[in-house]
Amino acid sequence: MENDTRAPSQSHPAWRWISDRGLRVETGDTTLTRYAALISLNLPEIEDIIPADGCLFLVFRRGTGLSENLRSALIAPVAGMPATGGTLHEIVVEYGGAAGPDLPVLAERAGLDAAAYINSHAAVEYSVAFLGFQPGFPYLHGLPCALHAPRRASPRLRVAAGSVAIGGGYTGIYSASGPGGWQIIGHTTAVMFDPQRAAPALLLPGDRVRFVPR
Amino acid sequence: MIEVLHAGLCDLVMDQGRSGRGALGVPVGGAADSAALVAANRLVGNDAAAAGLEITLRGPALRFPLGGVVALAGTRFAATRSSGAAVGWGETLVLAAGETLNLEQAETGCRCWLALRGGLTVPPVMGSCSTFLPAGFGGYRGRALRTGDVLASGAQAGAVRLLRARAPAIERDVPLRVVAGPQAGQFDDAGLLAFFAGSYRVETASDRRGLRLGGPTVTYARAELPSQGVLPGAVQVPPDGRPIVLGWDGPVTGGYPVIAGVIAADMAKLAQLRPGDAVRFATIELERARLLATEQWKIEELT
Repeated sequence: MENDTRAPSQSHPAWRWISDRGLRVETGDTTLTRYAALISLNLPEIEDIIPADGCLFLVFRRGTGLSENLRSALIAPVAGMPATGGTLHEIVVEYGGAAGPDLPVLAERAGLDAAAYINSHAAVEYSVAFLGFQPGFPYLHGLPCALHAPRRASPRLRVAAGSVAIGGGYTGIYSASGPGGWQIIGHTTAVMFDPQRAAPALLLPGDRVRFVPR
Repeated sequence: MIEVLHAGLCDLVMDQGRSGRGALGVPVGGAADSAALVAANRLVGNDAAAAGLEITLRGPALRFPLGGVVALAGTRFAATRSSGAAVGWGETLVLAAGETLNLEQAETGCRCWLALRGGLTVPPVMGSCSTFLPAGFGGYRGRALRTGDVLASGAQAGAVRLLRARAPAIERDVPLRVVAGPQAGQFDDAGLLAFFAGSYRVETASDRRGLRLGGPTVTYARAELPSQGVLPGAVQVPPDGRPIVLGWDGPVTGGYPVIAGVIAADMAKLAQLRPGDAVRFATIELERARLLATEQWKIEELT
């Protein structure tokens, strides 16, 4: 298999083909700056670029491969940390009760009472690492370690849109109703995704989020 | 214009999908066999990007009050026309005003695509007319067609040519060809052997989001993985060891290990799998996969 894997370094990311159309590029903390750099090139062979945690996933058009232009762009140095100028959003949350059925168990697991748990979740400024799972579903970085919690052993068949949830080391917000395995701690009425809006996703990678208890 | 006299099992307005929105968590979606819809469009003189219908397993009965030029591509369905004329597959069909086209069961396979001269006109959402059922947007009101729906079509132009389309040869009863996945090294020998030597069956709980497979359990060393970008055709293995092949409306990121990725050229074959079908997997080299991906439909005059 053609794997052009280089030793990881700050400016030369490793990459690897994971199907005939998909290239995974390990970008670490340069993910969002590299995303912006690659998107601005508007390369004809690229159908889409999907940012995730510490890597970019490049989707190629059928039958195409890595061009010299793209190869140069991938090895070109970029700034280490993304700009912290992402928009700050305040998301009002109703914590616990019917809106957050998993909160009591998670609070107990964290060794906190419900109020302390809520304060801990709402005290942090989060950053949007990437969107995935559902259109507009944000994976937020910054969850305090004490609040990390595994996904539910058996996913719920229906989680309401707007549910604020914990999945491993992330906190996130369900943008649509549907099945889901994250632990639900609260609910917001903010509309995370509306395909009819000029900007369909409320939050974008690099944006900052603060939760405000209602 | 099309009147839906009886809706099929899942008739969806589709085009070539909405690319470039992965960062918003929106998959490209679009026709499960995009080349088949392009071919159907070419048979009726449409632009390749025009919207048509994706028809699954049991088709609709459609009336064309103004008549129309239509074409069907993909797997063959039992079909009749109210005129009594034969329903040719992969060729230009000219329907008289008021004629009805009745599509019944798929004879084999799962899906076909219908193009109507002028294209189907629905409001584009995020740059595409494709239906995205998981979030209920795009296509005709964000949903599958229902009995009584009326679809508008665009302006017709130019001379009608009678054409025939031929798909690249699809070998039946051969394994789906895959490139080993990013976490293939994470599966133990027993897991890899189970997957690549095993035969799977497509389960009923399969749709455009993913095909669930029943068969040998694929074991792996449990590890928390960060979510990564994924493509339709990626074969994910959740902790229960039962593989899921991600479909066209699947998520753009996933946290389960990916054992393999179905190559672009075989996505057309994936589109024709139905519940109960047997599936096996075999690896192929990247360069060969890319070469296969360039194979095209052939369009010729109907004589």
